[in-house]
Order: sequence, then C-alpha cells, then structure tokens
Amino acid sequence: MTDLQFENVSITYRSSSDRGDVVAVEDVSLDLPAGATLGIAGESGSGKSTLIMSALRLLPKSARLEGRVLLGGQDIRELSFGQIRAVRWAQASIVFQGALHSLNPVREVGSQIIEALEHHSKGTWTTPQKRRDRMFELLAEVNLETSKSSAYPHELSGGQKQRIMIAMALACEPDIIIADEPTTALDVIVQKQILSGLARLVAERGISLLMISHDLAVLSAVCANLAIMRHGRLVEYGPSDEVCLSPQEDYTKQLAGAFPQIGDPESRLNPRTLKPAEVVRAEPFTMTDEVVLEAKNLSVSFDTRRGRERAVRGVDLQLRKAEILAVVGQSGSGKTTLARSLLGLQEVEAGSQLSFAGKALPKQAKALRAFRRKVQMILQDPAGSLNPKRSVYEAVVEGLKVQGIRDQEYERVIGALEAAELTPAEDYLESIPQELSGGQRQRVVIAGALALDPQVLIADEPVASLDASVRGEILSLFLALKKNLGMSALIITHDLGLAWNIADTVAVMKRGEIVEYGEVDRVLSDPQHEYTQELLAAVPRLGSQSLVRNE
Amino acid sequence: MSANTPAEAAPGPSSNEPNPRGSETRGSDPRTSGRAGPAVDGAKLVRERRMNNAKKNWALFRSDVPALIGAVVLLFFIVIAIAAPLIAPASMLDVTKQLDVPRYAPPSLDHPLGTDDLGRELWVRILWGARVSILVGVAATVMSMIIGTIMGLAAGHFTGLFGGIIMRIVDFFIVLPSLLLAIVLSSVLERGVFTIVVAIGLTSWASTARIVRSQTLSVESRLYIERARILGAGHFHILFRHLLPAVMPLVLANTTLTVGGAIIAESTLSFLGLGDTSKESWGTILKNSMDVSAATSGYWWYVLTPGVAILLVVLAFTMVGRAFEAIINPALRSR
Amino acid sequence: MSTPTHDPHSGDRPDRGTGTANQGTDPTNPSPASAKGSAATADANSAKPANPATVDMDEPPAGGSFARYFLRKLGGAATSMVLVIVLGFFAFRMLPGDPVLKIAKERPMSPAQIAELRSQYGLDKPVIVQFWDYLVGIVTGDLGESYVYRKSVSALIGEYLGPTLLLTATAAVIAIVLGLWLGQISAWRRNTLFDKLASSTSLIFWSVPTFWLGLILLMIFGGTLQWLPTGGMITPGLDPWSPAGIIDVIKHLILPVISLVAVVYAQFLMIMRASLLEEMNEDYLTTARAKGLTEDEVRRRHAVPNALLPTVTVVFLHIGGLIAGAVTVEAVFSWPGLGKLTFEAIRGPDLPLLQGTFVVFSAIIIVMNLAADIVYRFLDPRVRRA
Repeated sequence: MTDLQFENVSITYRSSSDRGDVVAVEDVSLDLPAGATLGIAGESGSGKSTLIMSALRLLPKSARLEGRVLLGGQDIRELSFGQIRAVRWAQASIVFQGALHSLNPVREVGSQIIEALEHHSKGTWTTPQKRRDRMFELLAEVNLETSKSSAYPHELSGGQKQRIMIAMALACEPDIIIADEPTTALDVIVQKQILSGLARLVAERGISLLMISHDLAVLSAVCANLAIMRHGRLVEYGPSDEVCLSPQEDYTKQLAGAFPQIGDPESRLNPRTLKPAEVVRAEPFTMTDEVVLEAKNLSVSFDTRRGRERAVRGVDLQLRKAEILAVVGQSGSGKTTLARSLLGLQEVEAGSQLSFAGKALPKQAKALRAFRRKVQMILQDPAGSLNPKRSVYEAVVEGLKVQGIRDQEYERVIGALEAAELTPAEDYLESIPQELSGGQRQRVVIAGALALDPQVLIADEPVASLDASVRGEILSLFLALKKNLGMSALIITHDLGLAWNIADTVAVMKRGEIVEYGEVDRVLSDPQHEYTQELLAAVPRLGSQSLVRNE
Repeated sequence: MSANTPAEAAPGPSSNEPNPRGSETRGSDPRTSGRAGPAVDGAKLVRERRMNNAKKNWALFRSDVPALIGAVVLLFFIVIAIAAPLIAPASMLDVTKQLDVPRYAPPSLDHPLGTDDLGRELWVRILWGARVSILVGVAATVMSMIIGTIMGLAAGHFTGLFGGIIMRIVDFFIVLPSLLLAIVLSSVLERGVFTIVVAIGLTSWASTARIVRSQTLSVESRLYIERARILGAGHFHILFRHLLPAVMPLVLANTTLTVGGAIIAESTLSFLGLGDTSKESWGTILKNSMDVSAATSGYWWYVLTPGVAILLVVLAFTMVGRAFEAIINPALRSR
Repeated sequence: MSTPTHDPHSGDRPDRGTGTANQGTDPTNPSPASAKGSAATADANSAKPANPATVDMDEPPAGGSFARYFLRKLGGAATSMVLVIVLGFFAFRMLPGDPVLKIAKERPMSPAQIAELRSQYGLDKPVIVQFWDYLVGIVTGDLGESYVYRKSVSALIGEYLGPTLLLTATAAVIAIVLGLWLGQISAWRRNTLFDKLASSTSLIFWSVPTFWLGLILLMIFGGTLQWLPTGGMITPGLDPWSPAGIIDVIKHLILPVISLVAVVYAQFLMIMRASLLEEMNEDYLTTARAKGLTEDEVRRRHAVPNALLPTVTVVFLHIGGLIAGAVTVEAVFSWPGLGKLTFEAIRGPDLPLLQGTFVVFSAIIIVMNLAADIVYRFLDPRVRRA
C-alpha cells in the first residue's frame, strides 16, 4: 500500500502576461496514509486542482513546484519519465469530471478502459481477451451494462460517463484514487448514486481516496478528513465532522453556513451570510392573497430531432404578491421552459392559459414589450448575462432604453443599483463585468431588472454558478427585495436548501409535471410524493460521512 | 489547472471574447465579493481603460517583430504607390518614348530591375502597378467585408425561412471557389479596374460571412442576448447594440488578412487577361511576361520582380493581420 | 490562388457538427431552452438499486437516421447545382455587355453577320425560350457549340476532363498527406525550429499566386536547368499507355503538381496545426497522460483523431480552390485540361465554352463536397449517431 504526502508544496505558474507569476499553491502540507479518505474543499482558484495534479506530475510545463510530493515515500520529482508513467494509473489513478470532456469523444469508452490495462498489465491482463474480460468486470462493478462498452461518450448520460471514469480509475487496481470534482454537473440523485458507489468500491478494496470539490457537503459525506483551501493556502484541516460542524476559521464557517440544513429552523427564511441585505421597511411585506401571475394547464412542446417532446405538461401555478415561490427539479424537468413560458419567451400549446394581474398574456410584440416591464427574469449565469464590453451603467440602463423610458435615467439606474445593494452605486457605474466578482455581477443583473420597476422577478438558478460564500448574500437580497418592495419572485432551482432558505411556497417538478406543491414548511418537513422524498434524501448533509455509513 | 468556474475566472489581459476555456486564467483569483472598489470618477475611468487597452495592444503589436516588419513594408509600398507620378512620370511608361532603351535589358546600374519587351523600365512598371494592385486589393476587400458582415450576421441571427435562405446563399458561395465566379463575372462585364473590384468583392465574401456567422452564433447563445430579449429588445437592438460590436474586431482583423487574398486574385484575373490592359498592375506585368514566354527565354527578371512585389505585399498584410488577430483573440497568442 | 476560405489562420475551424452535446449552439434548434428540452427524458426516479442496469437517469439522445442526413445534404447540393445552372445562364446573357457585340468588338463584323451569329446561337429568341433550351441542353448533355473550336462544348469538355482530373487528384492527395502530416508535427512541437520553419514556409507559399510559382518553376527546371519538359502532357508520338509513355507523363506532371501542391498544402498545414492546437488543452488528453501513455501515444491515439475531424471538412472545401487553381497552372504549363480550355475560352472570348467549363467545374466541386459530407458522417461518431 502506498502513502501520498505533500510536504510544504508550493506551485507557481510562470506567466508571460503582465500579471507576472501566479502562485497557485502556497506551502501546503497534507498527508494521505494508505487506506484513508481525505477531502479538499475550496472555491474556484483555491489551487486544489493544481495540488492534486502535482501528485502524478501532470502539471503543465509552466508550473514550478517547490517542496516535496512523496508517493510511497518516493519523491515524484526524482522519477524518470518512464518511471512516472509506470506509477500513473498503476499506483494512483484519477477520476476526472467525466460529465465534461475527460473522455475522448471519438473513441469507444470500452477501448479507453482497455488502453489503461494495456499500459499496466501488471502481469495479469496480458492478452486482449483477458483485458476485455477485465473491462466487462469493471463495467459490472459500476453497474453498467456490458453493451455500454461500445458506446461513444456522447451517447452516455453524465452519470454514465462518470461511472465509466470510475471503472477506468479502478482498472489497474491502484492504491490511491484521486477524484476531481466527480459529481459536478450531476443532479442530486445521480450524485448520491455516484458518491456512494465510489465510496463503497474504495472501502471494499482499501484504496485511499483523495477527493476535491467545491462542495463541502459532498466531501463530508464521503471523506473522514477534510482540508479547506483558499487562495492556495491551507485554511483548516481536521476530521470531517469537526471541520463541518464546529469550524474554527471564519472562512470555513461561511462555507459551512452556505449549506442549509433542511429542517433546521435557524436557517428557515434566513440564509446565513456575513453580509445580509438590509430590510429598511418598518413593516416588511409578507405574502398576500393577491395573485399576480398565474398559469393554468400550461403545456409546452418542442420539435427535437426525435420528434415532438413535451417539456411542460399541464402545469398550474399561482404567484401571489410578495410571495417567493421556488420551483425545484432536476435538469431536464422542464423548469426553465416553464419560466420562459411565463415570460412569453416560449410558445405554449393551445389550451394553456397564462395571465398577469388577471389579464391574459399579450401576444403582439408591442404589448409583450410592455408586459416585460412588469415581469423580469434573472438568468442562470451572471457572467454570461452581461455583455463583457459594456459598463455597469450601460448594462442597467439597457432595459430603460429598450422600453423607451427616457426620464430620470441616471436616478433610476442609481436607485436600482442601490436596491440591489451594490453600494455606493456611483463607484461601480463605469466598471466592466470583468472587474467585478461573481456576486457583484449578479447584483448588476438584478439591478438591470429592478430598473424597470417590475412586479415579478423570475430567477433561473440565481446562485448555482456563484461560489458558496456569495450564495447567502444573494439569497438574502431576494428576501430583502420581497420585504422592502413587496416584489414577488419565482425562483427556479435544483436546490431544496434554497427553498428552505427563502421561499414561502415550493413546487417540485419532475418530467414537466408538478408532483408536489405547497407551503415550504409542510412540503419539506412532511413530503407526500415519493419523488420529493427521494430528492430530500439525496441532499448531502454536512458531516457524518453519511453516504459511507448509510450504505 | 484549476477548475475555474466561468463566473469567477479572472479574465485575460484583454477584455475580448472568446476565451471560454480561459487558458490564461488558471489558478488565480484573488478577488472575492469584497468591495475592491474602482475609483470615483467614472468618465476618467473609462478613458483610462481605453488608454490602457490601446497601450496594451500597441505593446503586443510591437513585440511581434514580423508584424512590425510587415507594417514597414506596407508603408513603403503605399508611399511609393501614392508618389508614383512624382518619382517616375507617366511618360516613362509610354512605349513610343522608350525607343532608345534596350529591350530585355537584365538588371544593371542603368536599369535597376531590368527592362521589358518594349524597353520599359520594370521598376517604373512595378511602381505604377502598385497603385492598381493595392487599390484593387483594398477596395475589393472593403466590398467583400461589408457583404460578408451583413450576410454573416443575418445568417447567424435570423431563424426560420429567411435565415434558411440566407444560409443557403452563404453555403453556395462557400462551396464554390471565388476565383471561378470572379472569372465568370469579369469575363462578361466591361474590362476595367472597377469590374475587377466588383468581381472580386462580389465573390470573395463567403469566408468572412462564415467567420461572422460562427461568431454571431456563439454570441447569440450568450445569456446577455437572452437578457436583452427579456428586457424587451427587438431585432434592431440585438443586431446593432450587441452582435455587430461583438463581430467588428474579428471583421477588422480579417480585413487585413483578406487584402492579401484580393491582391492575389487581382493578379490572377489580370494574368488570365481579364484585367484592364490599359492600366499597369502586377498581374498585367506577369501576363505580358507570359505572352513573350519570358520564363522559358531566360528573362528571369521579367517574371521575378512582379511576383516578388506581390509576395512582399501579401506577406506584409498577412503578418499585420495575424498580429491583429492575436490581439483580439488572446487564445491564439501562445501559438 | 484563391480558395473560398483564404484564411489558413486560426479562426478557421468549422462548426463541429453537433459537437459537444447539449451546450453547443445548434443552428437548427436555436432556443436555449429547447436544448434542455431534449434532455427532458430525464428519468430521474429510476434510482432504485433493484435494477442496476437502468440505474442511470437520462438516456442520451438516440441516433438520427442516415437517410434524413443524406437527404438534407443532397438537397443542399441540389440547390447549389440549380444556382450554378441559373447563374451560368443569366450571367452570360443578362449582364451588361451583349456577348455577340463583344465578339463583334474583337473581330470586325457586319451587322448582317452579327444578326446571323445571333440566330445561330439562338440569341434572337425570347430569354425564357433560351433558358428552356439551355435547361433541356444541360439535361441532355448538350452545352452548345464553341465559338472558337467550332465543336460541341460537351465533346470538348469530355476530351479535356481526364487530364484535369489526373492533375488535380494527384495534387490533392499529395497536398493532403503532406499538409496534415507536417501540420500535426508542427502543432505538437509548437514553437520549435521545425514549427517555425514549417509555418513560415507555408506562409510564404500562401502569399504567392499559384501561376507565378508555376512560372518560376518553369523558369528554373524547364528553362535554365532543362530537367523537365516545359509544357503539354506527353511528348507527341508516345503511346501514353506504354511504359515510356507513363514515365513521360509523370515527368510532365511534376512541375504543375508542385505548383498546385505548394500553395494548397500550406493551407492544410495551417488548418491542421490550428485544429490540433485547439485540442491540446482538452481534458481527455490529461486523462490519457494520467493513464501513463507516452506523449507520442497521446498525440497519435487521442489528439490527432479528434483534430482530424474538423480538418476534413475544411480540407474538402479547399479542394475547390485547388481545382480553380488548375486554371492558371494549366495555362502556364499548357496542360491539356479543363483549365487550359477555360483559359482559351477567356481569350476567345468563347462564352458557350466558358459557360460549359464553369458549369462542369462547379458540378465537380459540388459533388466533391457532398462526398465529403457523407464521408464525414462515417468518420465522426458524434455526427453518426447523434
């Protein structure tokens, strides 16, 4: 069995740009004894990926490593290229983000597994036949049909690709498996399957597991020890439960706080953040009975390559004044289509009824434009929602220009930015998106919508692409908008925790249908529908290595 | 190799798209949501940003030695083209006045680039030829850029029947080599410089349209276009406020690259006898040399000089164009 | 010279078919939500471990039919062909500059002769009738009669087609092999001396007119050194099928092929290089390296096959340029092919002949591109089954 040790590792990228060298990892020491499980959590840019790539000497040439990386007591820098190639995969293998582009798109996945076996036959898989058998054996281990071996990556779903990655990592019976964000871009239920599968396989074989993720809950569900990294440094290190449940450092507290414990009354309608949005109104608005936006029997179909598909089927929804409604579902459940239809951006089937303030949604371009003043939408990714070349002022004023609102332009923009809590607003007017952080960009997008003085905000995964530490800020902003302005909001999310944090009501969507719809407290504490229960069960909990122990 | 999410990835030195993979962004983002607030005076900030960008781009261009040499070569040819009447009066091209000049004189001190079959100095012909060749190259390129940008934008933006028809037209011009179409056009139109410009301009826009179309499609899929729609924007706003500015840098860089192609096209058409025989151009000189079988008769300077002139100018345009391209597309810079 | 895409630099990557599944921009399916819609089969509740084989969620999209793909491409090619035929007719008749007057300008003719010429070529009939005659002619293979040769255009083209195909096919094969091979080495050893030499040589070749390169080669090897013949396809009197005849044809082929190859291989090199560079940051290469493959294996088994796919489409587009380049090269080397015929037709001017060669050249190129699209579908599994 092999240990993996990082001793005072620093990694610097030489860069020709004027920013000079970039320090990605600074003085990190970590230890992974044989058979142990260690998780490294960090947001983007924390240097966690760089660190694990150094374990197999897979860094690009521009990277300079100081300190020592010991694999089985051997400094990997002292190995020849031939030796390091022999170590790769045979002693330590990596589970890459299979859902993305880690598999060669033009080769059958089975042959990609066999390729690893060819290079590290270890005296066992010496003939093509033995290798084929081994490959089928591996597919069976990860619950894939043998027929999948002749599939190309694009023919597999995200979860299936991830299984292939795991099978590939297990192929040569390594001592260490390094998992790089193995469940990013997967839905919760699939995530649970993958994680528990990985944890089981690793435990059965006594393989040590080093896993990195931006998601603290995912790590704590599988790993015994946790390390938190930020800006290339190690912030905190210790047993999983201690780090998650009684964190010492502020940063860790913030990260841990970003994961709402559903059912925990303290975080109900109270997203945890160091910078909560201010509620200025003496008597904050609360949910009323006045219906503003309503959908009855809403159905939407698309023509796809495979013929017509119904993305939304007979949905009934009501959004009341000052209500926050969370529509929860996995990708492909039709929730984004639902949101687009509510805005009139999507053609709906005959028989669907959409109304705003009691009147049917207009059809003509001009009336639709006027309607969009009242109902605004925030898209998933704030970085993409802003034209990289336009300043904050231009971005916020765009809606006013389009709507032909000419008076008090400047005041409206400042007002909107302040309502979105980007203050002092004047300082930001001429900034371009690249000068802003993710959270600030999202505030600009929200301000752009607020400038039109809408009555309803529809938000599509408003925090999914933001770092965990910013999440709370933006969520508390939504709450404040409701309380201060009486705004209604429909929030599309895959995250039940978000509903627990801010929503009044929740609708659970599955395959275009709403399977459960009601008050958040009732639905989440006493789910009636099987699917809601399943979703709830799949949400990773902080600490307790839940997935390892439950299985 | 950090798994940056696009949201927080620090953008490269230039603000320009597209760099989705963020090759320059690895492993560094010191910013958090903290108020790393910009300065107070907005207008000044914008000016500074523009200045900085210009400086940065100039520094990038300056560090590209081939591009600098290319720029100097271009400048040289443009100057001699403009000053041709001053350096060598038009009478030097008049055959009737060259009776005492030896024909087919090889390059020497008296005849720096040699003389042709009618005793004209080749250097004078090259000088005058530069005017037509460069003019045609630039004019045809401008024409093809305008057509290409309009067609590319339309093909990328509009869907449905209209978009489909545009797409088919673009595809047609992409598949058929422009030279073939240009031959057809210029053989049925009146001979003349204008005809050559039109023939090249009308037929060579497809590659621009293709680039513009793919850039338009990629911008069109950005969320900020969707956001503009949500704000209530129509085609006009999206086309002119978002799409056109986004494709413009690409078009401009492409312009420089295309001039080279247009100059070669001009020389080819002239060589085939489709040019204006009354005007000097480098292609015409080559055609004359072909007519007297200069290549097989040992008059190497007659063939060599116009070709070298074409090579120099086209290479210079290409070098400058590549530098522009690298400036607007940082992902190419490491290449 | 010029190819439809005279830009061997960077940005010249074709849109990758259906490329990366759900996140691309599919022009046929532009709504962002519809991309999600296609994943709407998300079978999220089949999570019960009871049935391990179907544990996973969304079944990815099934394959579209080959017939549909083929029909779409065929339709495209047919549209292009129709456009060519229409253009071939109207360009020569409707544009300013009466073709007969043009002939009259080149040779002195009396009004009576002009009128006779008009009726001889059917130019006195109404345009619509002429167009009908023209269409019937194309369908029956009758492309009119050449003014200069006084022979049927179809017969002339039939006679000259073979040599052109020989010349362009040889040049195409050499250019593709050379360009792709040098391009991948260039990209892999980016910024080495090899790369710099290969790239700058190709830039230089790219910056010269094809015919000029031909003239220079002719001058050096045909004129000064007298190593190779200066024109024609075969020394008169030799039987082309005898061993001596074949060697003689090869000797005649060398110079024109080099001229054509030089300009086009440079473009292929640049495309392949750019395309491979684009692949070099892809994650699956890291996977391959992590598996312990050597750099050479990573390149040959993973990077190149992927880079080749987008290259194929562009390469086939450039073949059209190669065929167009044959016009000047054949003129320079007096190669008895369609290009030479076009050249003669321009000199004439011999409009029926020019029209005929234009239609035939275009047809060849359109068919080539159709073939490329079909080949591509078999090469790229993503297009094949997506």
